[in-house]
Amino acid sequence: MPLDIDRYAHLDSPVQRWDPRLKLASLGLFVLAVSLLQTLPLAAAAFLVALLWLRLAALPWGFVAQGVRWVLLFLMPFFLILPLSYPGPEAFRVLGLPFAWEGLRLAALITLKAVAIVLTAYAMFGTARFDLSMQALERLGAPRLLVQMILFTYRYIFVFLAEMRRKDIAMRARGFVKRADRRTLQVMGHFVGTLLVRSFERTERIYKAMLSKGYTGELRTLVRFRANGSDWAKAVAVTLVAAALLGADLVGPFRAAEQGWF
Amino acid sequence: MHVSDGILSAPVLGAGFAGTAALAAVTLRKMDMEEIPKVSVVTAVFFVASLIHVPIGAASVHLILNGLVGVVLGRRAFPAVLLGVILQAILFGHGGVSVIGVNALMMGTGALAAYGIWRLRRRMAMVRSTFVFGALAGATATLVSGLILAAALATTGEAFWATAGYVLAAHVPIKIVEALVVGACAAFLARVKPTVLADAEPQAAVGGAPS
Repeated sequence: MPLDIDRYAHLDSPVQRWDPRLKLASLGLFVLAVSLLQTLPLAAAAFLVALLWLRLAALPWGFVAQGVRWVLLFLMPFFLILPLSYPGPEAFRVLGLPFAWEGLRLAALITLKAVAIVLTAYAMFGTARFDLSMQALERLGAPRLLVQMILFTYRYIFVFLAEMRRKDIAMRARGFVKRADRRTLQVMGHFVGTLLVRSFERTERIYKAMLSKGYTGELRTLVRFRANGSDWAKAVAVTLVAAALLGADLVGPFRAAEQGWF
Repeated sequence: MHVSDGILSAPVLGAGFAGTAALAAVTLRKMDMEEIPKVSVVTAVFFVASLIHVPIGAASVHLILNGLVGVVLGRRAFPAVLLGVILQAILFGHGGVSVIGVNALMMGTGALAAYGIWRLRRRMAMVRSTFVFGALAGATATLVSGLILAAALATTGEAFWATAGYVLAAHVPIKIVEALVVGACAAFLARVKPTVLADAEPQAAVGGAPS
């Protein structure tokens, strides 16, 4: 699982060159529109549009696929649970359970929407340095305190990931094997406890270092965002696509057709 | 534990964001300058620790630890969980951008409930009370989060009632794992560095108890 979401932020593409504020705002509207879709053809259209964002952003498929894989894994059970538990007319019976096409449709709808949103999230956050994305969110009105804390947390995730790996190697070198028993859970509890104790000691040092560099509780930055005509044009285009999808879904040329779909 | 994009209805998503905003506003009140880096760094530990997998039988689950967040950070647990959920959404699309509100409300309320249970330990004189109340806090957090998740699914539509039931059933083994890990961790911290724990004597740790 890639934790450095901005690994490909240095690539040159229309999405990477886009002012992060307008990019996040307009793609955010697109995500909102997708999450509200209710019909299958429009969810499929949203999925294709999301693929287009990625194509435009020139992000490697393998990088994105690592994230999508988890979402698919999480959603797989719905393909079993929903058709077999959907309240309503059953098409036939599988192993004595009523199978409803409507349930399958719902599972497909959920999956298309979820994958479309995850792909869009990659286009949103995989195409600019993480700190720039966060500062853009702040300019868009996200609470300053929260943005500052996200930046801190993101930075220290990598520090503690490395520390956790070191400790893991140390434990295995001493012969520890994870088993499904109480002893393993106790050891894991102590493992997490040790990480916490060390992190507390580290925060004291970090805070003192920050104070000595003039920290006053505010995040100061030299970043200036500038939007030109093409930044705005892209934002308007994306917003129109989002509005068109949602509008078609609400007005319902597909909704009527779906009543008698299966 | 999280919902992914595309499942819940618009009113449920909206309620999630509204609830999260309200709780975040309350739990972030009176934040000292010193707490900003502290809460953030500790959140990073929880984020990393939740990537740990433990085996149960043939399968394996990853730790959730939102109960432990409550036990360590007190009411600052809510912003910590919110940070974690936002980062998960951005970094893995793991419970995506549109469900940040619902997921933070679900996990964060569990963490606050764990803190509530944890504070009760002083009321009772008991052997190994840190382990027992740590374990209770761990189980409570998972229980509360599971119930909120089930409620979010159930209010989205009748089609998800069965799913909500499966979710609650599937969480039983996870509760046991969480209880034992959080209990062991709380007992360990109480021995090694008690000031790490929320509402520790004599002086509160990060976040700590509202006096």
